[in-house]
Amino acid sequence: VKVVVSRLEDFPPGERKIVKAGPRSIGVFNVEGEFFAIRNRCPHQGGPLCIGRLSPWAIAEGPGKVTMNGPPRLVACPWHGWEYDLETGQSFMGPGETRVRAYDVTVERGQALGEDVRHAEEQPILSAAARASGREPGPYVAETFRVYVEEDYVVVEV
Amino acid sequence: MTVATATEAVDCDLHVAPAAVDTLLPHLGEYWRSYIDDATIRMAAAAYPQGAGTTGPAPAATYDELVPFLQASNPRRAILSCLTMDGVHRNPHYAAAVATAVNDWLREEFLARDERLRASLVVSTLDIPAAAAEVDRLAGDGRFAQILLPVRSDVPYGNRLYHPLYAAAQRAGLPIALHAFGRGGAAPTTTGVTTTYFEDYASNAHIAQTQMMSFVAEGVFSDFPELRVVFLECGFAWLPPQLWRFDKDWKGVWREVPWVKERPSQYVRRHMRFTTEPAQLPADPEQIAQVVAMVGPELLLYASDHPHRHGDAGERLLAALGEEDAEAILRGNALAFYGEALA
Repeated sequence: VKVVVSRLEDFPPGERKIVKAGPRSIGVFNVEGEFFAIRNRCPHQGGPLCIGRLSPWAIAEGPGKVTMNGPPRLVACPWHGWEYDLETGQSFMGPGETRVRAYDVTVERGQALGEDVRHAEEQPILSAAARASGREPGPYVAETFRVYVEEDYVVVEV
Repeated sequence: MTVATATEAVDCDLHVAPAAVDTLLPHLGEYWRSYIDDATIRMAAAAYPQGAGTTGPAPAATYDELVPFLQASNPRRAILSCLTMDGVHRNPHYAAAVATAVNDWLREEFLARDERLRASLVVSTLDIPAAAAEVDRLAGDGRFAQILLPVRSDVPYGNRLYHPLYAAAQRAGLPIALHAFGRGGAAPTTTGVTTTYFEDYASNAHIAQTQMMSFVAEGVFSDFPELRVVFLECGFAWLPPQLWRFDKDWKGVWREVPWVKERPSQYVRRHMRFTTEPAQLPADPEQIAQVVAMVGPELLLYASDHPHRHGDAGERLLAALGEEDAEAILRGNALAFYGEALA
């Protein structure tokens, strides 16, 4: 099932959105123009994975010789710091570790989507600044509706 | 249940010590002989307090004094440990000279007299390049099986200042052996010097835990993939919870140590071993077997720790294990771990 997440122009690089698609909470990320979607539930103990910090790989040649490599595509669960690759959902902490469900994300024309799509319900998340200061958002968000016909949409397949 | 005997065992920790500093004088240069005389240096007793239940009699000071124990235990190989270096002195030049003297005394007094004997190569931590040079000097001797350091060090052993010594150890194919107790000037706890021997004695396990983590976290095994470390007299029953915690925390904070590419416990299991004496074990043999199963019998090496006495846990350990595990602990693990050095 295709679920529309956002208008493309409302989802610039560096942003993330956490949406409700049916019963699932899913984080959608625009990392340097490339979209990824991952289940917002850490398989370790159920933490809200998608509000976690994004980082690139840290590659060590040896002690003290570390380079950061690639775009920030690893999300760290805020509860215990376990990290997952946004593209595959794979935890790389070693063999036998759990994998998070990752989803395909595409950008599609509105007309091409047809009638058989659902619209994701966006969930409020902390802004980067609020996260940094440790502040929680308030419980109320006004209900808003916007309708677009022609533009490109970010669509998540669940 | 098999009652395994320690005969024909590989004994990884058998103590010897010169009775007095005079013993070492023939192995020291003229300047150091006069330095010892001027400073009225005396040999510290390696184990204290004298006469305490855990101390036992003095270690053998000569081969002849060692013979009764060797006849009774009939080891396949025994690795001598001389802790005389673990003093309070701060003179790195003196410490290096004494280390060389102790090694030469070990060769002359013991290694030349009995082919079953090997020795722990003594070095000082006060001058690491000198320690590396001493390892290089004796690497070709073939009768040194490990490099002896006190588990209680001035700086944790993962620190880069020690790396030249680890490079020499890897070149020589010798493990680093960390023995309980150590540098007299260093506190046995992270919060200060203990008031009693009782606390000091019980502190060796947590110092060993700190050193174990330091080696892995500072990437010693990334820089020296062939290096091995053995903990002498520091216990092992503490390993299961400590390794669990070590692995768990690494998953969350690995970015601080990205050179630790495998679970920390995998480095420990591949590179580190632990001697059996003393063992802190439950009374029930079934529970002893469970502890060993959690630790992994392949990590354990038999040691008599003669003449020190820590109770009967070492015997109870072997008695609680199946034949295969007891055999591995008595001989097989050590022969595999030390390799050529015990051949």
